[in-house]
Amino acid sequence: MSWPASIQEIIEEFQEIEDQFERLEVLMDFSSEVDELPLEEWNDSNLVRGCQSVAHIEVEIRDGKVWMKAAADAKMVQGLQGILSIAVNGSSPQSVLELTPAFAEEAGILVSLTPSRSNGFRTMFDMVQNSVKESIQ
Amino acid sequence: MKQDFPIFSREINGRPLVYLDNAATTQKPSCVIDAMSDYYSSSNANVHRAVHTLAGEATEGYEECRRLLKQRYNCDYAVITSGTTEAINLAARAWGEYNLNAGDAIVLTEMEHHSDIVPWQMLAERIAVELRFVPFENGLLDMAALDVALQDAKLVCVVHTSNVLGVRNPVEEIIAKSKKVGARVLIDAAQAVPHEMIDFKELGADFLAFSAHKMCGPTGIGALLVSGGAFSEMKPFMGGGDMIETVTLQGSTYQSNEHKFEAGTPRIAEGFGWAAALEWISKIDLKSHHSRLLEIARGVSKQLSEKGMTVYSTLNPGDAAVVSFTHPTIHPEDFARLLDAQGIAVRTGHHCAQPLMDKLGVNGTIRASFYLYNDASDAEIFLAGIDRVLEAMA
Repeated sequence: MSWPASIQEIIEEFQEIEDQFERLEVLMDFSSEVDELPLEEWNDSNLVRGCQSVAHIEVEIRDGKVWMKAAADAKMVQGLQGILSIAVNGSSPQSVLELTPAFAEEAGILVSLTPSRSNGFRTMFDMVQNSVKESIQ
Repeated sequence: MKQDFPIFSREINGRPLVYLDNAATTQKPSCVIDAMSDYYSSSNANVHRAVHTLAGEATEGYEECRRLLKQRYNCDYAVITSGTTEAINLAARAWGEYNLNAGDAIVLTEMEHHSDIVPWQMLAERIAVELRFVPFENGLLDMAALDVALQDAKLVCVVHTSNVLGVRNPVEEIIAKSKKVGARVLIDAAQAVPHEMIDFKELGADFLAFSAHKMCGPTGIGALLVSGGAFSEMKPFMGGGDMIETVTLQGSTYQSNEHKFEAGTPRIAEGFGWAAALEWISKIDLKSHHSRLLEIARGVSKQLSEKGMTVYSTLNPGDAAVVSFTHPTIHPEDFARLLDAQGIAVRTGHHCAQPLMDKLGVNGTIRASFYLYNDASDAEIFLAGIDRVLEAMA
């Protein structure tokens, strides 16, 4: 599968790491890539449901480009949000809708993308795409 | 003992597996896996019906599980269910619905697993019973509050050993007090039977619910042990094959034994597996393993406290070897993933006990729970794993 260059770079970065612990450390480093959603803007409508940690995502389309703000109390979840931000920020709505979440598996960050309480990535990914869909309708 | 368990030959993320999520489910010895596989390979048939050889073997094997349960736990009635959750739901439906009326009080505790809260809340929605929750402080139930709650109570439902804290409640005292006011008693023993022997008749409860998979048996099977008195007050709630005596178009009559609560084809392979687990565990000295594991857990708890963690487990004599803890800044989920990266399996989250979490004032904890096959080296690897996490997150 081919990915946008920014995602391909991330996949390769993760694939070069052999040790899972180090891979997770790198994932946590991506938490700083998030354009942080201030605490006072956390609300029920931007809450990521079904996630073990408390996570919020707000998506907006400005000048025809997608921008997301996010925050989470778990560093790895915010790391996933950071990677998502790199994938979507500044992209056109159409290209965001064409993305699939499989890059997280390909990079070896997640064993499974099945939605569950222990794995909010799929939920966050769907939330971003649904927000984009609603915004352009 | 680990050589009895095939799973311990595998590695997780390049490291030998250190499995400390035993309060969620335990690993299975070869004899359990073989018993289930052998049933499917050589005895597969439905139970209680046909006269052919395979049906006879299947029935024998499945009923052997019930016989072993009755023998091990000294009880007259052992209804086989899908697990603790179904066992408690069965008590709520088959006993609660027919023996309680609007306004009758059920006493529970704030320490209950969701499976011993939600069925009673659902019963309250149906027949307007009153639910009274006994609070706890520092892991100990407020026995004075229990005395107040017991007034005119018709049913008392208490967790024997907490899945979050490992705390063993004074169930003997609670049952004695409940009997004095004439209440029936249900004990959630999911975390108890793996660690200690229970004599159901001596204990004096009316219902005892537990699962096979927390004592090295298969998932998907458990039991509700029932006293003779309570059994005579129960009515079937799930109708179908196997639970009936006669069926006409005008009506049906039901079996008189436990089968009347086991409609449909039961979990036959799981019955074979559980029987093997019961045989296997009967050769184990649970008491000495319990003392050994509690010592390991106490050592772990002490070191975690020294490393700046808040430990919620009390680890008093009788408690299960469960260490529930949090770190002041590291999220439990981050902690657990970084431990998993080192081959160490622990549980995080609310452990299906949100009211208990509210009481502790946390969203979730990290829980390391030890079982028969765990040893001091598992604890050492776990603590070294913790050090690596603390270093990485500093």
